[in-house]
Amino acid sequence: MEIDKKKCVGCGNCHAVCTMGVIYLDEDGKSVVNQDECVECNTCYRVCRNEGYWPWLVRGIRKVLSVFRLGYLAEVDVCPTGALTHGQLVWPRSVRALFSDPTTVHPGTGVPGRGTDEIKTNDVTGRLRKGEAGLVIEIGRPGTGALFRDIERVTMALAELKPHFEKENPVTQLMANPEIGKIKEDILNEKVLSAIIEMKITLERIPEFLHALERIQKEVDTVISVGVASKCLADGTIPHEQWVREAGFALSPNGKTNIGLGRPLFQED
Amino acid sequence: MTNTLHRQGTSESLKNDYVIFAHTAEGITREGSAPKLQEFMKICLKYDPVNIGDGKQGNIHQDNIDIQRLISNQGDGAGAAAVFTDLNTLQKVIEELIKADLGISINISGLLDGVQQCCRNAGIERHSVEHSLGFWDAKDRLPEREILEFNTMCGHGMVSFNLIRKMIEYVKLRRLTPKKAAKIMAKCCECGVFNPLRAEMLLEKMKTGQR
Repeated sequence: MEIDKKKCVGCGNCHAVCTMGVIYLDEDGKSVVNQDECVECNTCYRVCRNEGYWPWLVRGIRKVLSVFRLGYLAEVDVCPTGALTHGQLVWPRSVRALFSDPTTVHPGTGVPGRGTDEIKTNDVTGRLRKGEAGLVIEIGRPGTGALFRDIERVTMALAELKPHFEKENPVTQLMANPEIGKIKEDILNEKVLSAIIEMKITLERIPEFLHALERIQKEVDTVISVGVASKCLADGTIPHEQWVREAGFALSPNGKTNIGLGRPLFQED
Repeated sequence: MTNTLHRQGTSESLKNDYVIFAHTAEGITREGSAPKLQEFMKICLKYDPVNIGDGKQGNIHQDNIDIQRLISNQGDGAGAAAVFTDLNTLQKVIEELIKADLGISINISGLLDGVQQCCRNAGIERHSVEHSLGFWDAKDRLPEREILEFNTMCGHGMVSFNLIRKMIEYVKLRRLTPKKAAKIMAKCCECGVFNPLRAEMLLEKMKTGQR
């Protein structure tokens, strides 16, 4: 994301909307984006509606008002002069938008967003079957962001346990070597709003993986959101609950439920 | 939409927060899904959701979004979502979706016991479940609980901590009503899974210094 300084009037509206909080006022009183920290989520561009005013007019009004110690208060969700601009991103920077802008469809998954269908279509895909669990580890959320260098620390540590990394997952697709969880070298310094590591393991290995994750988390300076999923038994019992509790972790009272209306229903052998 | 399961809040507050979404699988249910997704949205719309939308076109709280056009423009795609604030309405939506037999996957994010009861009342048993195990690691980088309640209402985390702080401050200063502030936050969440009514209720409390 960039801000056209010829147009910017320094109202500061985009500063608050920025998911990473990396837009600030420069010495010249105009807003500027810290390009190292920007994750190209485009939220400022989408949310701050272009009011289309002439920059000289807005600046003039602000100057006159300031003489009388009055302020110019633009509406919160506008850019008075349309100063926000987003150009064509090139690799490796483009990876930021793929993981941060939910309107961008990931070429590898065919879906917008940074994950895959995971249990959302489990009724028709059978991705998670009897005796299996899905681990969904989102690095950088909520609101802190993550460098691929940090994401790699987690994938490499977990790869030692030989999980089945979900092959359609965008992070898996960026691995140079999934066997060891190594991410491609050229994107390691790219920052994203968050990235999701998805893997399939057997239910009884849940404690082993959660404890490994507990150890590695201390080495990354960001937040990790963790989710565990499984296919329910015929009576609606959730098989992973027992294993998570045995590992000493608390389960949330809320969660995501696939209610099984997809057709044709996946049939296990 | 990916992680609507990480919504934070007290059980009391989460009782007003149910996201229902249709999802299609490439090579199985995605091809030819447009009329099914349109029907899903029409069914949801009948029961007055507080939000509805999809990741491609946006949601009803954004500028220049017309819900009828949003539905008719719905093509073969990944999915669509709507938000409801009580279990009775949710159950009616589930019952109608069962009757419609669309054949696309339907998921609900919300209090798991309540959702299970809804399914059972409607005569079905849940298929798969995903739990949140919460936030790990550098929790010292996270803001206070109230901010997280708003932030996690967007599955992609597009409502920034700073915007939430600004909205709370503006409501306290009576520069914005809780309704308008909640709508601005909802605008940031592309997929339409943000719950503006719950946000409004939280802001109403904060307006008078309650927590």
